[in-house]
Amino acid sequence: MNIDNYISSGAIESYVLGLADAQEAAEVQQLSLQYPEINQAVADFEASLEMAAFANATPPAAFVKERLMFALKDEFSVPIFAKEPAKVVSLPTAEPAIVRNIKSWRNMAAASVILLVISGGFNLYYYSAYNKANEEVTALLNQKNTLTADNKTMQVKYSDIAYNFQLLSDTNIIKISMKGVAGKEANLATVYWDSKTKDVYLIANQLPKAPTDKQYQLWALVDGKPVDAGMMSVDCNGVCKLKNILKAQAFAITLEKKGGSPTPDLTQLQVIGNVKV
Amino acid sequence: MEAVKKYSETELVLLLKQRQQPAFSYLYDNYSGALLSVIVGVVSDSELANDVLQEVFIKIWRQIESYDNTKGRLFTWMLNVARNASIDTVRSKGYQNSQQNRELTESVYHAGGTTQIQTDQMGLRKVVHQLKEEYKVLVELAYFQGFTQDEISKMLDIPLGTVKTRLRTALIQLRTVIKQ
Repeated sequence: MNIDNYISSGAIESYVLGLADAQEAAEVQQLSLQYPEINQAVADFEASLEMAAFANATPPAAFVKERLMFALKDEFSVPIFAKEPAKVVSLPTAEPAIVRNIKSWRNMAAASVILLVISGGFNLYYYSAYNKANEEVTALLNQKNTLTADNKTMQVKYSDIAYNFQLLSDTNIIKISMKGVAGKEANLATVYWDSKTKDVYLIANQLPKAPTDKQYQLWALVDGKPVDAGMMSVDCNGVCKLKNILKAQAFAITLEKKGGSPTPDLTQLQVIGNVKV
Repeated sequence: MEAVKKYSETELVLLLKQRQQPAFSYLYDNYSGALLSVIVGVVSDSELANDVLQEVFIKIWRQIESYDNTKGRLFTWMLNVARNASIDTVRSKGYQNSQQNRELTESVYHAGGTTQIQTDQMGLRKVVHQLKEEYKVLVELAYFQGFTQDEISKMLDIPLGTVKTRLRTALIQLRTVIKQ
């Protein structure tokens, strides 16, 4: 092919100016690799184009560069160390802000420590107050329980007494006071005997507490013979109901072995009283 | 004051690819005037041309990876970026409207000439004006308005082969004028 003809065909100018289509551009690229003259012609035209543009250079408005640098500021790589002293100088202007920042952080930290200490103090105070109140509540609860229990006991006792009082004030009741025998004069017990129902009630007014292996036993003297009238149970406080006795001239109490005896041990006679007719 | 650095083209491209701010700053200082003359050739409004220049440098910065030095000089690549951006602006609807308004304003006040300025007398356009009319139209449409040769062939109702031949002849003449 005729290289000179190609160079003077305008194909190179068309290519450099970006007017060539893809096929034409590929052709110029291919030929410039193949022929140094064509390559040179491309380079020459590029250079003359550049020179012409520089010769006609129009200074742009100053703000264009400022705007550009601002628009791209995040896209520039960060230099490892600043070459320009200007960058070093720019640091002190930033410093007061940092110092102020640090100061305000210090103040805030100090304030938060003080608040923490104060709140810690309150915590201790309230904790001990809480403990104290808790103990007091527990004590009061115990006291209340005790009082409630006492109250219940009293109620039971009262109802017993009321019952007994009503019982004993019945007109059919015969009261038999049993006085202490010689040597045991302080002892006293009373039998309330219902003449209609023949029920027998016993009140141990004054009897020493029976030893654990012994028990008080009531006897009715019927025509000179002792008849078992029942055992005085240990848990009987106040009025104890014993066996019914149809007929008796006197009542007596002996201290017998637990569970009672068929016949009284007269050496252990505690009290005795006659039925007053 | 910092001494003005001077980079070779290879060095400059390398530093730009490394995202170096001083290299970009240098590129702008060195080439913005020449590229603005190219833009003004297409976009007649000087304020708008400055906006296009900013856009062009952002494109250069962001597309520098696509520049291949085996295919031509850095300036040729940038020139084509600038030309394409200018043509895109001229073809945008906003620009068309503003041009209509401007023409109307100018016809009313007979302001003409002074502001519509030397753009006609600048750079390549100045050179193009020295061409014969049949060539001038082709260069105007192809280079300054970005029409393809196929489009020009249809617009002017001239066979594509003729468009190609005439445009190339025009460009040869252009080259001769440029080199003077």
